[in-house]
Amino acid sequence: MRLDPVATGVFVALFLLVTWLGFVAARWRKADLNVLHEWGLGGRRFGTVVTWFLLGGDLYTAYTFIAVPALVYGVGAMGFFAVPYTIMIYPVLYLVFPRLWKVAHERGHVTAADFVRDRFGSRLLALAVALTGILATMPYIALQLVGMEVVIGALGFPTAGFVGHLPLIIAFIILAAFTYTSGLRAPALIAVVKDMLIFATIFAAIVVIPAKLGGYGAIFASVPQEKLTLPSPTGASLGSYSAYWTLAFGSALALFLYPHAMTGILSASSGKVIRRNAAALSAYSFVLGLIALLGYMAIAAGVDKNPAHAAGFAQYGSNFAVPALFLDMFSSWFVGVAFAAIAIGALVPAAIMSIACANLYTRNLYKEFWKPHCTDAEEARMAKIVSLIVKIGAVAFVVAIPQRYAINLQLLGGIWIIQLLPPVLLGLFSRGFNALALLLGWAAGTLSGTYLAATQGFASSVYPLEIFGVTLPGYAALYSVLVNFLVAMALSPVLDRLLRRSGAPAAG
Amino acid sequence: MKGKKTEGGIARYWPRFLLIIPFLLVAFVPAYNRLEPALNGIPFFYWYQLAAILVGAGVVFLVYRLEVRVTHTLQRKKAELDSSGTPGDIL
Repeated sequence: MRLDPVATGVFVALFLLVTWLGFVAARWRKADLNVLHEWGLGGRRFGTVVTWFLLGGDLYTAYTFIAVPALVYGVGAMGFFAVPYTIMIYPVLYLVFPRLWKVAHERGHVTAADFVRDRFGSRLLALAVALTGILATMPYIALQLVGMEVVIGALGFPTAGFVGHLPLIIAFIILAAFTYTSGLRAPALIAVVKDMLIFATIFAAIVVIPAKLGGYGAIFASVPQEKLTLPSPTGASLGSYSAYWTLAFGSALALFLYPHAMTGILSASSGKVIRRNAAALSAYSFVLGLIALLGYMAIAAGVDKNPAHAAGFAQYGSNFAVPALFLDMFSSWFVGVAFAAIAIGALVPAAIMSIACANLYTRNLYKEFWKPHCTDAEEARMAKIVSLIVKIGAVAFVVAIPQRYAINLQLLGGIWIIQLLPPVLLGLFSRGFNALALLLGWAAGTLSGTYLAATQGFASSVYPLEIFGVTLPGYAALYSVLVNFLVAMALSPVLDRLLRRSGAPAAG
Repeated sequence: MKGKKTEGGIARYWPRFLLIIPFLLVAFVPAYNRLEPALNGIPFFYWYQLAAILVGAGVVFLVYRLEVRVTHTLQRKKAELDSSGTPGDIL
């Protein structure tokens, strides 16, 4: 691959624009950034439009744009589960999270663990929530880097050795610097640019590419027939049907439990803003559906047969399908725009994720266990420093460890994060649940989920569960959170009675 | 958290039951796991799910509008009651 000067020029120019915006953001809706909820939640003042951009930029990440079409390119219809998933997330957002926002706003919570600590009065349960959040988010940040690395490689930068990682490291130093100074305001402002670039790219893609390939009919006709639908189940198994549905449903339940999603939600200015966005964010879902179809366009365009892309596919596998498609279909300057959209699409969620981890560490570990009496300024400074450490960790992860592990860990992250559903959901919508029962449920869910993933060699999160002779292949996260719920519900009344009788205080 | 009986109780939240629709649209996989009828060369499996996104968004928006209206109606009723009120209300 040779370095394309025009594409690279446009790419770098857009990147510089965004860098500038990131620093200017510190003065946007000016407030004292030495207070954690100003730095880490943008002062809870984002209205409907800013929240739309922020959550859209937060949830539809660069990795999504690369990996979803790559999955469709590789396995076909199964990769489309991302679409029913995005259909199901918005009713969940509408029903659950305005209430969480309200409680968090009234009681000054910054993280989900804050809420759990306050609601159940258990430091241990809050610790479990905080650690789960941090552990699940770290590989997610690393994956954003993977997305960015693919487009930087596709631009023609050398990819071997330390020099190969240099563009990525520079990008992350910039990211770390403006996150440090501006907090959540930076990704909120940058998300506006990112989304406009993404929308421009996708609309160009769905018009230009089918025109070049002879229309949608021709695109689908060139895809092998067996890829176009899910294979019909055989024998006593629900096969791909239950896998498809449970992947979509489990992922939808897990999404808003991720700390970065929580941060985006809590930074809204009211519950009404969240409800409106539950409808308006579907615009992104639709775009995601179109992006998924890029996988088929790449098959139709025969990107894998172009010798110029051989090195790219060798290095990045099917993740290279979309960049290769853009390189073949767009003129140089627009390739620059499209790649910048993806790279900036990595910056926004990476910034929010690192802020979310920093909030969790500072609020629920540092302040809770080491410095309960720290001042607001100390608290905010700690969070800023942690946001730096988190990013350094993510870069080190990507540079030092094979990519496959980042993907496996992200997969485990989904299984771990969904275990926060019982404490959050039951905390919001029920009265008496025993904190210790919830903690044991969390442990049971985490262990069983990890075990289910381990039986698949951590390569797939679909576990073939057998019940009464029928095999139900399904998302391990969904199965394990059921275990979690059952344990919590069964033990809660028992533990309540036991603890009351012995006169012991509640857990924690 | 402090008691679930907000004003209007269940009456205020009835539109939320409509939110089951987006789930139902994609719940039964075999129903849409097919190629025909194709739309403009796009197999059913794909255009159906893309269309379901739009319907789902429409439902959520509808629920939001309905809830705003229901809340307003309840508040107006309450206001009427208050203004017709007994002397105790004024004090």
